Amino acid sequence: MSAYKTKGSVKERAELALNDDFLRKAVKFTTERLRIGKMNAAEQHGNWEEWRERGRQIRLHTIAHLDYYLNLFVENARANGVHVHFAPTGAEAVRIALAVAQSKAAKTVVKSKSMVTEELHLNHALQDIGVEAIETDLGEYIIQLAGETPSHIIIPAIHKNRYQIAELLSKEAGEALEADTTILAGFVRKKLREKFLEADIGMTGCNFAIAETGSMVLFENEGNARMVTTVPKTQITLMGMERIIPSWTDLEVMATLLPRSATGQKLTVYMSGITGPRRTEDADGPEEMHIIIVDNGRSNQLGDPEFQELLNCIRCGACLNACPVYRHIGGHAYGGTYSGPIGAVLTPALQKNVAEWDDIANASSLCGACYEACPVKIPLHDMLVYLRRRKVEAGHGKALETIGMRGFGTVAGQPGIMGAAVKLGQLGQRLVVRDGGIRLKVGPLKGWNKYRVAPTLAKRSFRQQWEALKRETANTGQTMDPVVKARMEAILKERAKGGGGRHG
Amino acid sequence: MAETHQELLARLERESRAKQEQFMNFIAGKLGRPRVTAPPQHPFRGAPDFWNALEWPLEERVAKFTENFKAVGGQAIRLSGIVEAGAFIVSKAAEMSARYIVRQDQQSLAELGLESLLPEARVSVWNEDPNEDWKACAAEADFGVVLADYAAAYTGSITVLSDKTKGRSVSLLPTALFALIPIERLKTRLGEILSDFDRAGRENLPAGIHFISGPSRSADIENDLTIGVHGPGIVYALIIG
Amino acid sequence: MKVSLFITCLSDVIYPRVGEAMVRLLARYGVKLEFPRAQTCCGQPAYNSGYWDEARKTARTILDAFDESDFVVSPSGSCTYMIHHYPELFKDEPVYLEKSNRLQEKTYEFTQFLVQVLDVKDLGAKFPRKVTYHPSCHGSRLLGVKDEPLELLQHVEGLEFVPLPFAQDCCGFGGTFAVKMADISGAMVTEKVDHILETEAEVLVGLDMACLMNIAGNLRFRNEPVRVMHLAELLYEGVKEA
Repeated sequence: MSAYKTKGSVKERAELALNDDFLRKAVKFTTERLRIGKMNAAEQHGNWEEWRERGRQIRLHTIAHLDYYLNLFVENARANGVHVHFAPTGAEAVRIALAVAQSKAAKTVVKSKSMVTEELHLNHALQDIGVEAIETDLGEYIIQLAGETPSHIIIPAIHKNRYQIAELLSKEAGEALEADTTILAGFVRKKLREKFLEADIGMTGCNFAIAETGSMVLFENEGNARMVTTVPKTQITLMGMERIIPSWTDLEVMATLLPRSATGQKLTVYMSGITGPRRTEDADGPEEMHIIIVDNGRSNQLGDPEFQELLNCIRCGACLNACPVYRHIGGHAYGGTYSGPIGAVLTPALQKNVAEWDDIANASSLCGACYEACPVKIPLHDMLVYLRRRKVEAGHGKALETIGMRGFGTVAGQPGIMGAAVKLGQLGQRLVVRDGGIRLKVGPLKGWNKYRVAPTLAKRSFRQQWEALKRETANTGQTMDPVVKARMEAILKERAKGGGGRHG
Repeated sequence: MAETHQELLARLERESRAKQEQFMNFIAGKLGRPRVTAPPQHPFRGAPDFWNALEWPLEERVAKFTENFKAVGGQAIRLSGIVEAGAFIVSKAAEMSARYIVRQDQQSLAELGLESLLPEARVSVWNEDPNEDWKACAAEADFGVVLADYAAAYTGSITVLSDKTKGRSVSLLPTALFALIPIERLKTRLGEILSDFDRAGRENLPAGIHFISGPSRSADIENDLTIGVHGPGIVYALIIG
Repeated sequence: MKVSLFITCLSDVIYPRVGEAMVRLLARYGVKLEFPRAQTCCGQPAYNSGYWDEARKTARTILDAFDESDFVVSPSGSCTYMIHHYPELFKDEPVYLEKSNRLQEKTYEFTQFLVQVLDVKDLGAKFPRKVTYHPSCHGSRLLGVKDEPLELLQHVEGLEFVPLPFAQDCCGFGGTFAVKMADISGAMVTEKVDHILETEAEVLVGLDMACLMNIAGNLRFRNEPVRVMHLAELLYEGVKEA
């Protein structure tokens, strides 16, 4: 969806979010709960690092052989009676979905949560041809009523409170609903129950697709995805081409990692494996089933050593919950379908013009919390740096920053010049130092000093004091413990042998 | 003349087959190698070995299943036999004033004797009349009664498989769900169940395989847990044996 | 045995007292630190911003400066971890690639060196104050320095340790991030300082002067008198006090 881009920059949207006190409180509260839930679940399960590594290996293996496993999936799904389609672009996926909907003369489509359909803006496309598309996940339904997009991949309405939600639902109900979670959810249950029973098409995403049996797997808590795949006569599933795993046996690893990482659950309330449309004599399940396999920029990552691991993502949202930036600005500030650390990398990566994308890759302090939280160990913090580098290499660096960094290279690249620059600074800062600090708000200090007092350069740098310090410590006469000395020598020997010497 | 639906499907099928080769070749090209057409070595299949060795004794499986199922808001009760299960469901029917019950068409569920024990209520047997709208029936039902094909203690999950006698709707649409678990079907790990599907192979899988781990829930409003959003809000796991 | 001090820019020009403390503490164990004057910056600001050519330029000064050293000790987990990126930076320059791999092997963050190499956990220090600790992200998450500082603090006599709530959260520094995304960074450091104040600690201790500069700057901005120290400083003061 290269045409889709939210106005403004991440920085500008973040400023708006930072001024929205409610949003920040809501996002903080929920991400904190999810994060703690995840940590407890991982700890309780035990051997988490081994599970992560196993998950990563399965994903790495599958993506490295994606042509084989995807093809196997396609053949098996067809043998199950599924109509399989290929969509290299988002537009192609939309075209196929609309063709089926039109041919079925569908009036309503009930949808369970799917980030792929968000990528494609499929709801709008359906509406344009007069088909009502109804989101049935509670959070998605709320967001749809509000005319917004999800701001979290697991908790779409994370940025809304119960009063805002009550207002939205009251409008829909035509009566005032109390801002009580049970009442609100009860209204949605009743309202959507009717929609499920009358819908012509059920539309879903796909958490995992099992190559060896052509089955698709959905994880959910509400039961709406089961409704969508049980009640309507036609099912259309949109799946990213990378959702594949080889076998049901591999699913155990994903089922171990995904719910725990997403919400801290041992397993979501429902995990459904659907293998083709209903059998002839079955009395429920779809009569006709379509799976649309979507590329839409995913293949940009294939064969790219720096980004291929992005395709390992299992969309658990753990990186969002762990991210201190996400916690402060919420999902909409990122401006793409996917938000948080995964969004900051995926959004530019799904476009071909990675280098030209706006400042999204800068919205990170590179703290690595995302990597630590990721159940399949995607090094998102490194990828953010690669994105920044590609932008610079492509000549899209900001002019001022480029001058600054060139200057940095020149100064720090030559010890003599660095020493001279420090001396100059020590002299120059006398003009701005007050009470041993700098409060001036100009140039690069503007943003810094809005929240801090900047320190001053030391009167004498370490370098300038070194000779005196060296003389002082040379006279202590303390000798090294022979045990320590022996240990250090052993380390050196180990290193010389090669292989050794790694330390944590 | 407008294209019929069958014609559309046929056309899309042709398009799909034509695109398939291109799509796969494109992937292989991106990966910088020729197409892989033989099964690759997959040394990391499934869970780590230490995990696959885990198997709890029966009593522990029952205890853990019960603990896990209750922890998410479900009810788990051990009963000595089908007759006791029937009596239990009957008592709950009285308690909750259930008027309409749908059950799967299975021998052991027939043995519950609900039809005779609950003369006031309507008890339907899934798909016994193919002309009935069974999804609508299940949607109206107060109770759905199913026989679990498997259960996993570690995650507190019940597994149900679909076929013509076992509707997917029965465990989904009624207000309350009763799942009978013959004790020998209670495993320790999910993997013990999942690997059965690999062994069975594609041709032998049912259309729907559902793992149910408690009542339907949502935390989408202020992360406040709500029970029974779309699926059954009341779930009883009856361990038999 | 040549053990060298990798001072890092911030400790060199703003916080020389950290380097002094390290030199004096290690001298007590017979480790005579050397200071190769040719060192400048590890290159992290340029690396993280995507300016890898410039990063390579400054990285070379580090690689050359420590080429002869047997062990290199630094007061920053983040700058130490930066060296782990050198092999990637110099993957096409065999000579510097080799130097990069060697430097990575021989470089230790200060507490790693104390605990892993010298096997010192108890320095005989005394510091009778209420102290909390902020684990910097790169040092703890990426370099894996988690237990060492806590072990060292445990052995300080009279020190009352108060755990920092949400300790693992980034302080919002992130190098140029603090300038480019000033408001997000400001929100993060404000939250971090809120948590520090909750502990009612008199002293905040850490292992990375960049993060500590950020936190100290916000404390000062808010006129909060919490003292901010590198662990080397705290230990050195404690040793003098004992």
